[in-house]
Parts: sequence; C-alpha cells; structure tokens
Amino acid sequence: MVQIKYMLLISRQGKIRLMRWFDAFTATEKNKICRELSTTVLARKLKMCNIVEYQDHKVVYRRYASLYFVCGISPEASNELLTLEIIHRYVEAMDSYFDNVCELDIIFNFTKAYDILNEVLICDGSMTETSKTSILKTVASMDALETSDNLDQVLS
Amino acid sequence: MGSLRTFIKDVRAAKTLAEERAIVTKESARIRTKLKDDHLASDKKRKNIHKLLYLHILGEKTHFAQVECINLIASDDFRNKRLGYLAAMILLDEHQEILTLLTNMLNNDLHNANRYVVSMALSTLGSLTSPELARDLYPDVENILARSSDDFLVKKALQCAAKLVGRDAALLEIFYPYVGTILRSSQLGTHGGLLGVAKLCQAAVLCRSEYEYENYPEILHSIVDQIPEIFSILQDINSTSFSPEYDVGGTCDPFLQVELLYTLRLLFEKAPQETLQYKNKLSDILTQIATNSDSSKNSAQSVLYECVRTIFALQLDQSLIVLGVNVLAKFLSGKDNNTKYVALNTLLQVVPQEPNAVQKHRKFISRCLFDPDISIRIRAVDLSFAIFNETNMKELVNELISFLKLSGEQDRDLIINIVDQLINKFDLYALDNDLWAIEKMVEIIKIVGQYVSFEKVSDVMVMINNSQDLEQKMKLIQEIIELSLGKRQESLDGENLGWRLLSVWCMGEYGDVLLQKGMFLDSELTTFLSLLNGIYSSNTKLISYILTAALKLSSKIQNPSCVEDLRKLIDGHTKDTNILLQSKSVQYSVILSQPVGQRQDILGAMPLFEKSFRNGNSNHSEKPKIKVENQNVLLDLLEGTSDATVKNGSQALLDIFGSSSQEGAIPTTNTNSSSSISLSLPQDAAETYQSNEMQVFFRTVSVAPAEAQLELYIQGHAQIDNLQILAAVSKTQKLTMGHLSSASIAAGQVCRQDMKVSGSGKLKLRVKLVYDGASGTVTEQFDHKFDQSL
Repeated sequence: MVQIKYMLLISRQGKIRLMRWFDAFTATEKNKICRELSTTVLARKLKMCNIVEYQDHKVVYRRYASLYFVCGISPEASNELLTLEIIHRYVEAMDSYFDNVCELDIIFNFTKAYDILNEVLICDGSMTETSKTSILKTVASMDALETSDNLDQVLS
Repeated sequence: MGSLRTFIKDVRAAKTLAEERAIVTKESARIRTKLKDDHLASDKKRKNIHKLLYLHILGEKTHFAQVECINLIASDDFRNKRLGYLAAMILLDEHQEILTLLTNMLNNDLHNANRYVVSMALSTLGSLTSPELARDLYPDVENILARSSDDFLVKKALQCAAKLVGRDAALLEIFYPYVGTILRSSQLGTHGGLLGVAKLCQAAVLCRSEYEYENYPEILHSIVDQIPEIFSILQDINSTSFSPEYDVGGTCDPFLQVELLYTLRLLFEKAPQETLQYKNKLSDILTQIATNSDSSKNSAQSVLYECVRTIFALQLDQSLIVLGVNVLAKFLSGKDNNTKYVALNTLLQVVPQEPNAVQKHRKFISRCLFDPDISIRIRAVDLSFAIFNETNMKELVNELISFLKLSGEQDRDLIINIVDQLINKFDLYALDNDLWAIEKMVEIIKIVGQYVSFEKVSDVMVMINNSQDLEQKMKLIQEIIELSLGKRQESLDGENLGWRLLSVWCMGEYGDVLLQKGMFLDSELTTFLSLLNGIYSSNTKLISYILTAALKLSSKIQNPSCVEDLRKLIDGHTKDTNILLQSKSVQYSVILSQPVGQRQDILGAMPLFEKSFRNGNSNHSEKPKIKVENQNVLLDLLEGTSDATVKNGSQALLDIFGSSSQEGAIPTTNTNSSSSISLSLPQDAAETYQSNEMQVFFRTVSVAPAEAQLELYIQGHAQIDNLQILAAVSKTQKLTMGHLSSASIAAGQVCRQDMKVSGSGKLKLRVKLVYDGASGTVTEQFDHKFDQSL
C-alpha cells in the first residue's frame, strides 16, 4: 500500500513546479517541507537510493530529466518501491497526454498536470486508477466537455 | 491585464529575484482587486483564479480568494466548475470553516447527470473530508454505490466511502455491505473498483476501536467472508497472461497486488481468530507469489517486498520466513540501491525472530558496508551488529575494520556508532580482556581515533589495563609507541587525538617495562611528552593525561636530565589558566619533590578495573561505578603504599576510604533494601529503556479513546536515590503525573510511577530521569512511542 502525503515537482534549480498536499499541513509546514526537501533531494548523488528519511516520515523521489518528482509517504505501511512505480505511472500518463512531456509543458499547463494527477491519486493520496488508458480517456473527455461549453458560448 | 501565459512568461523572464518578486506582488494585488469586483464576468473570474493557482505554486498567499473558488463551482459552465473544484482541492484543507459553503454544492453535484461533475464532487469530498461534510454527505455517496452502474464513479465512491469511514467510524455500518456486492459484480469489479474495495476493507479493520455499536463482530465477519474472493483475484492476476493495460515491466498491476496483500495483512493481523481458517491458504498464495515472481524489475520487487512484509508481520511458518529472508537476500545481491535499502530495513526487523536465516547472507550484508550510499551503509552496520555472535565475530570485526579504513569525515556518526557498539559487544561476550579484542580496538583507534570520544578511548585503556597476558600486552604497547614515535613504516593522521591519548597513557603506565627491556631510550619518551605538551596545549583532557604520564614516568627513569625535563613540563602548568590543570600540576609537583622511594609507591601500577556492569553478571551489588579517567589519579594517589598491583576495583576504593573490611559496606545495602516497600514487576510490562544503572518498563493499564493510564517501572541495577521522573507528551495531549512509589530504590528493586495521558494523537512520551547514583547525580533521557493512539 502507498499513502502519499504530498507530491512535489521540483526543478533542478530548486523551483517548485507543482505541489499537491493530500494531508492537511499549515502554510509554515508546507514552506519548510518545500525548502528543506528541495535542498536535500537536489544534493543527493545519482548513485544514492531514492528513499530519504525525513521528519517523521519517508520521502521517495525520482528524477526525470530536469524535474524531480518527490513524494512524502506514511512511514510504516507504505511500500517505497511501489511509490516509485506510482510516480512512473503518473509520468507515463503525462508523457502520453503532452506527447513527450517536458518541464515547460508542466509549467505552462499546470492545471492539466493537476487534472491528470487527480485521476491517479485520490482522497489521502491513495491510488484510484492503475490503467493509463482509463486515466487519459477521462482527462480527454473532460477536456472535450470544456471545448463544447466554449463552443456553446461562442454560438450563442 | 495579460493572460496567464504572459504572466508565467514574465515571471520566468525576471533576471533577479527582486524583479521576480515585484512582478508577482503586483499581479497578486491586481488579482485581489479584480476578484473583489462582484460584477466581474465569470470568464474573467476564472482567468484570475487560474492565475491564483499559479501564485500558489510560487508559494504566495491565496487565502483571499477562497470564497471566489467556491462561487466558481456553483457555475453551470463546465470550465468554471472544473477549475473551481481543482482550486478548492488545492487551496483548501479540511480544517477550514469555509467548507460549510461547499456542502450544498457538493450535495447537488453528487446527483448531477454528468458523470464527470459527479466524479469531481467525489474527489473534492475525498480531499476535504471534514467530520461535518462526512455526516452531511454520506447518503449521497451511498446513493452512487447503491444505484450507479458506472465503474468510473463507483471506484471513486468507494475510495470516498473509505475516507468517510475513517472520519466517522459509525458510517461503517452504512458502507460495509458494498465490499461484498462490488467484489461479486463482474461489471464494477474493475482494477480501480478493487482498489476502492481494498481501501474500504482497510478502513473497516482500522476503525475497530472507534466503532461504538455492538454489531462490529458481524461486520468483521462479513468482510472476513470475502477473503476467498480476494485470494482468487490475487491468483488470477498472477496467472493471467500478459494484459497490456495493467502491465508494469512484466508484472500485472503491482499496484492492485500490493493493495490486496496489505488488506489481507491487516485482516489477518487485526482479526487473528476470525481469519484462522484461511491461514493455510494465505501461506500457499504467499509462497506462490514469492517463488514465481521474477525479481529483476522494480515492479516485481515491489510486490515481492509487500509479500515478504506480510509474511514477517503475520509470523507465518518458519519455512515461509526463511523464504522471505532469501527473497530479501536476493534484493541485497542486486545492483539497485532502493531494493537494498528496503531489504536491509526489513531484515533488521526480522533478525530477532530468525537470526540464522539472516546469518546465512552475511556476505551480502557486509558488501553493503562499502556501498556509496550512506543510508545503506548505516543500515548495513546496524544489521551487522544485529547478527553479531561468537562464531562470526572475528570475520565481522575484520569487515568492519576494513570499512573503517575507507571511511572519512562524512561517516563520523557511523564511526562513533561502530566503536560504541563494538565495545559493548566485547563487554557483552566478556572479551574485554581478550588480547584479540584489545588488538582490534587498538587498531580501530589507530584508524579512526580522531572521531572517537575520549571516554571510549579510556574504555580501551581499561581493556589493556585488565589484560593479564603481560608479554603479549607489552608487544602491543611497544607497537603503539613505536608508531607514535614514528619508528614504523605506517604513518599516522596528525589529527588522531584518540591515538595520542592512548600512547601518552601507555608511556605513563608501562614506561618502566619498556625502558627495562631496552625498547626505547628514556629521552625519546620525555621528548615525545614535551612535544605533545607544546602542540596540544589547548586540549585540557590530553594535557592532563600528559601531566599524569610525566609524573608516573618521572619515577621510572634514572636519567636526571630527563627527570628535569618532566619536572619542567609539570611545573609549566602551575600557572595554567585552566583551574583543573593548574591544581593538578601543583599537586604533582608536590609529589615530585617527595623522596624517590615514596614516589615509586604512590605511582605504582594500576589495579584491575571493573567496568560498570552492563552484562549484569556481577553479583557485587555494592560495587561502585568507576569512571576511569576521573578516578585513576585519585586511586593512584591514595592507594598509598599498598603493594598490591592486581586488585579488585571495589576493594581499592574501600581501602581508600579507610574501612579495613568489606563487612561495613554490605549491611548498608541490606538495610536499604529491606526498608523500602518491595514492588514486583508485572508480567506485561514491556522494557523500553536500559542504561547502566537501571531498566525502565512501561505498562499500559488502559487506553480509552481520549485517555490512557500508564505505569512506568524502574528496576535499579544499583542503589538509586532522590529519583525524579519528568515526562512530556506531544502538544495535542495532556499529561498528569501520579504517585511515585518510592524515590529511592536498592539494586534489583522496583519502583512505580503512575501517569495519565489525555487528548488525541499518537501516544508517545519523552521521559527524563534525574537521580543520585553511585557516580553522583545522573540525568538520563529517552523517548518512547507506544503502539496505541488516543
């Protein structure tokens, strides 16, 4: 099982590109976590393992090109190895959606990145859909609804 | 006002941080003004909220727009609704009062004809589940589960239901029947649906202590009855041929497999009686998964890992545990650092149960000592000590030493940890005067003496002092001093203070033997001491050792010019600004002016030390704790003319204080022990902390939802007086300290402290103990986490 407390997308320059909090944190805690994790994770060498013990929980991260995907997970029950797979599934979904995703896609279309994430993780950060096809189909259908609403407005 | 795209571009184009801040602050102010305008067109409003989400990612404050987000949800336009829900999920959390405004909208949208609107409402409810929202909206979620045939909605409704049950356990009664119906439904039992069912089962098991109605056993039963269904799903996933939709690196849906395994683990763990009949079948399935999976890919390993954790957690058959250990050993032998990390972590937990199975894979564990990743090295060291025993220790110690040779500054904490643990282990196996152990410790000081604390170095001195094999010992000491004097091939790190300390001590203690055998010239030794005295003048500890060594050496050498050098060295500190060194040096010069014969008596060889008893195999209850470096001088000085060179430490002290026999001391202890009310340790008290002086146990008397009664027991290893117990709990809790049965306890006796913790959250305590022990006032502190929560 994996319970993701938060997911942060951090660029190699230490800038936050996306953040989603599944547990309730105060603004101060959020700032602290973002600040500390961007330095901790960025400082880790390539050969080191992708699991860090941080505060009272664990952090699993994975780097894709210039972006680090960083997940805080509950310490006891969560499966660290599976967390890596969840990150990968999310990245795969974005890769298909944006057709070879890059950091700029996420910066300019961050709401889309959130929309995709919302179809993968739900509630307290537990996985709700494992099929990439289903995830993409849902997001595409919702996008289509938006366009049709737009069309209605223009026609009227 | 520009579009979001230009805003993002502007922020990115900013050359300096100050410029970026200026752009962001300006835009933030503009959004704030715009959103205040009630007549703003909804398109504009949406645009502004969109920008606001970007500000949120930049770490800006967004609280001013909460109401606007919620208003956006009320819109009929799908674009507005979608962004509104997204903004609510991202900007709000379950503690905000504003959520009450959401209730009505969610209630409407959960009945919307558009499945995507319903799905967004479910996701938002799942993210922002305040107890009030849970209470108000559960009927709508149930409605979906009961009526909808859309698997997309059902999977989300199930997750949402699990979360609702987590918030309000009473809702379990409403939702539990759906575990069975969904599992049996071919249409709704998709992988997503099954993930939801698994969550609901977990919630049902975990809310046991909060569920107030009497029908919990029935509910549990109905869920346990679904176990065969879960088994067959697991088996199906593992046996089906390739299905591209769910395949991850050759493993079919590891996400679902892990979730189901975890659900089974919880069920078997929390309902051992009810699930007993399925236990064999579970073992079969776990064996199947553990043996059939190909473990080279991370996806397969994540399933194997979950499988092994389940085996260990449920304490299944020994053969299965061994299988699990072997799977983890395979992880260790691979190249991937993540699997190594989890394997070491998990093996550490299973060592106490299955030491031999873990033992077999020592080779892989030792290899991890040399991993480039510090977190893996730390765990490899811990695991090495966990499997440490009499048969493998020689090899293990050699491996640790070769690790130390390669270690550096970045491993400081780890090095200190290794030295501490090794000294404890040698002590535990009563090897502290074994020559092999001494040689190894000396070698370790040679390699990493700069990191080791002086206390630990003096533990090594005690080991050397206590060794009976004089000839071998002298050979070792000769090597030590030769290296220090630069007479050997190998060179020494100049920062290695631990080694300096050791050599200085050896010169003082064994100078006479070394000189008699003609191993060194007396001038070599004195020059060395004077040299160190000059170099390390700021290091009080080392200087006081040098002073003692100089004094001792002065009685052991004949050469008058050397003696004069030593006298100068000692006199040089009579005006030292450090009071300790000054008084020491003044006292020493007094001794130095005594006639030679008397001096030799005073400065004779040290008696045997007994270290404070960690292994508890000593029966001297009155034995004082001897701190070597503080007392050796005292002992030396006061031992007087006694010619006994080999003497029990406690006797020595008794001699000092002038009591001619031991009888005087023993009765005191006896009266002490009979005077206090004797308490015995209850069977169910768990040991939580141990030190030289005492063992501490905790017993949980009761854990009600908001209050826990605890008892803390302290069993003294030696006499403890004026005991004070201070404790603290986390902020969400309140602690009431009750009665302490006795502030003084004799060795072996027990005292009890009552405590009451009220509030909520994980039950954990920080305890501080202050007492007068054999070596003066001692403060000890430890933390303890209980399994229970309030």
